[in-house]
Amino acid sequence: MAKAKQILLIEPDNILGQTLSGALESAGHKVIHVATAQDGVTMADKITPDMVILELQLVGHGGIEFLCEFRSYKDWENIPAIIYSTVPPLEFRASRESLSGELGVVAYLYKPNTSLLDLLRAVDNNLARKRELSADAAA
Amino acid sequence: MTSILPPGSMLSQHLLLSIAEQIKLPLIQISRQAEFGALGLETDLGQIKALADNGIKLVESYAMGLQLANQNSYELAPEAVSVSSVLYEADQQLRELARLYNVSLELNIRGRFEPVLAHRQGLQAAVVGLASALIEALPAQNSGQQTTLQLATHRCRYGIVAGVYADIPSLSSDALKRGRKLYGVSRQPLVEVSHNPAAGIFVADAIFRAMHLKLHVSRHHRLYGLGVVLQTSSQMALV
Repeated sequence: MAKAKQILLIEPDNILGQTLSGALESAGHKVIHVATAQDGVTMADKITPDMVILELQLVGHGGIEFLCEFRSYKDWENIPAIIYSTVPPLEFRASRESLSGELGVVAYLYKPNTSLLDLLRAVDNNLARKRELSADAAA
Repeated sequence: MTSILPPGSMLSQHLLLSIAEQIKLPLIQISRQAEFGALGLETDLGQIKALADNGIKLVESYAMGLQLANQNSYELAPEAVSVSSVLYEADQQLRELARLYNVSLELNIRGRFEPVLAHRQGLQAAVVGLASALIEALPAQNSGQQTTLQLATHRCRYGIVAGVYADIPSLSSDALKRGRKLYGVSRQPLVEVSHNPAAGIFVADAIFRAMHLKLHVSRHHRLYGLGVVLQTSSQMALV
């Protein structure tokens, strides 16, 4: 049986955090839920996640600040990040290239119209893609 | 472009925008929880009800703020009010939300306080709005730690203070001042305190203003919070 993938979930809302964790765990993933960007960096240092899912609106340091910090470490530069946020993607239209480029965002999902099933699909697709890329690199 | 709306309307529009952003949260929470069934997990109907009630309270408080500002409702006439009883009732209304957010809610109404002259419903709606916003915000500041929120009253030089308090040193007068300028414009007007628009705080602010009161940053023992100074009702104190 394949080893469960570790997902670092940075979600400030406690209730949504529990709901998302429950859904991801039901799909066979191991979830570590934190509420702040600082705790996200601390936890990533402990566990080196396979994927990060994050909200952009956080108390204090925001999600973009987290991504800038996260990508500054070589060990973490290939870990895919999914934005799952209440901020409409339209607001990031101008900076789409830097999101998908240097910040390594593989999907931008808008919370109000992204169901749990859509989120699980995005997670599975991007984890599979990461596996393929790792296999290609090893070959 | 010059607005044809009077300044009061613009204020209401900002507040409405802030509420529209805020109300997304309980609706998303309910929608995602309702999807649990499709994943073979158990949907928590109790949670859905509590989240819906929280959204309804926010909208009702906004409507009450507008009614108070327009002074067109006889039901909102000032009366002698016991602050302790208002805080007690607010505590009862907030228990379920606090439990869902893993926030320990405490009621600190020890001591004898004279009645104050206020709109009872307005005061209660404002306290519930403030506390709801902080209940949502507190767990966003400390991952996984249980936090405590106090509904408390104490006497000060100018009257009796009713407020909500927690261990939030980042809640300063400057932060509140900036928040007042930013609400309805920024998605996170109180970025040091809350991850969402914290509309409950600004609705409470509007209700207090309509009651000719001012919400301010306040301390209660070692805790930081938001409170309002209420004038005691001298006539009622004599009785």
